[in-house]
Amino acid sequence: MEKVIDINYFELFTGYALMLIPVFALWYYKTGLVKDTLIATARMTVQLLLVGLYLEYIFKLNNALINISWVVLMSIIASYTIIRRSGLKMKLFFIPVLLSGIISIAITDAYFLGFVVKLNNIFNARYFIPVTGMLLGNTIKNVVIAVDAFYKRIDEEENYYRWHLANGATKKEALLPFMRDALRVAFNPMIATTAIMGLISLPGMMTGQILGGSNPNIAVKYQIMLLITIFSSAVLNVVLTIFFSNRIAFDAFDNLKKGIFRK
Amino acid sequence: MTEISHLTLSFKNEKIFDDFSLLIKKGEKIALSGESGKGKTTLLNLIAGFFPNYRGKITVFGKELNSANISEIRKTIAWLPQDTSIAVKTVKELFFSPFNFALNKNNKPSSNELSTIFSEFALDENLLTKKTNEISGGQKQRILLASCLLLKKPLLLLDEPTSALDEKIKKKITDYILKQEDLTVIAATHDDYWKNKSDKIVVL
Repeated sequence: MEKVIDINYFELFTGYALMLIPVFALWYYKTGLVKDTLIATARMTVQLLLVGLYLEYIFKLNNALINISWVVLMSIIASYTIIRRSGLKMKLFFIPVLLSGIISIAITDAYFLGFVVKLNNIFNARYFIPVTGMLLGNTIKNVVIAVDAFYKRIDEEENYYRWHLANGATKKEALLPFMRDALRVAFNPMIATTAIMGLISLPGMMTGQILGGSNPNIAVKYQIMLLITIFSSAVLNVVLTIFFSNRIAFDAFDNLKKGIFRK
Repeated sequence: MTEISHLTLSFKNEKIFDDFSLLIKKGEKIALSGESGKGKTTLLNLIAGFFPNYRGKITVFGKELNSANISEIRKTIAWLPQDTSIAVKTVKELFFSPFNFALNKNNKPSSNELSTIFSEFALDENLLTKKTNEISGGQKQRILLASCLLLKKPLLLLDEPTSALDEKIKKKITDYILKQEDLTVIAATHDDYWKNKSDKIVVL
């Protein structure tokens, strides 16, 4: 096996020059996203460096309770991010979003780590934390897109929703086309990316594993399982989020509450 | 019987209804008249349960409009919105969607019923093969009206049912709908022909 080439901090710093391209394009087209991009990049850097330090420590401790707490903390941050990005009210949506995230992770983590990888202890930090992190990180985008599409479209197409409701549909029946569209919008890109995986794109985790010195065959097998786990977890998370949140987003007459959107 | 008693409703500090009452007998045809913004559409929406925050009492076929009865009440109504630009792709979907709901499955029209109503409403059955953006507003309105009627609900709530129709078709459709004896019809309308053919005109 070839020796892994480390990136020193100066080289890492020079890599940031690549950010000039997106920053210039976003500034040139007056998108108003330059500040957000710079903040996001700075946050990503600090967070990952801290996580690197923290994970080293957490891997040494390898305590199930600490690992679970870490995952719950990640889920809380993910839920906060999802609601912020969807333009919905934090107070109303936090619990349903968090609950859906934790349930979908618990199910897919338990299956993947317990049944497929056959770990004796599924809370083993070296597996439990990175796998859950990948699941959360990859499902956030889907949940944001789906939840946003679902509620905004019901609000915008109120006439359509009412037409169903006032012509004999149950709430579930009236919501079906909106649910269908939310899933389509959220998962069409993921299906397209999955279909070309390996042909014109190499997934980040696998590339990371190979660069980190792993055998490509093992890296590929883990990548396949992770893609399947991510897909499954993301769909489950979206369905549960909409299922739980629609209990608080509608009034007793099944009308969408106007107060669910952040002003 | 449908009864609205002592209805009071405000929107943004503007009173739309102030102690308004109305009694509608079974089979009666009511035309809601009045200038735009006076509450015609709002009254239909109230009966359909779209504005739960009102004061007063609304009773539909003996059932008070509240969270416990809303599902039962909605089972008895068919509703035509004023804005017929409903986001479905095909005319077939526009016409048949309501018949896919569990409640309406048994009312799915037979080919005979379909032909009859299409002929009464001067619609060509080939329209069902088109996309919704390929047909006119008037055709859309007639498709939705035909679908509403075939749902065979005892109460029709129609918001400007003839606004996009030309004179000849308007009269034909008005006569057809208003001659249905057992059907209670509450329509918000600016159309004089519809108003004159109705049993009662309520000016808001």
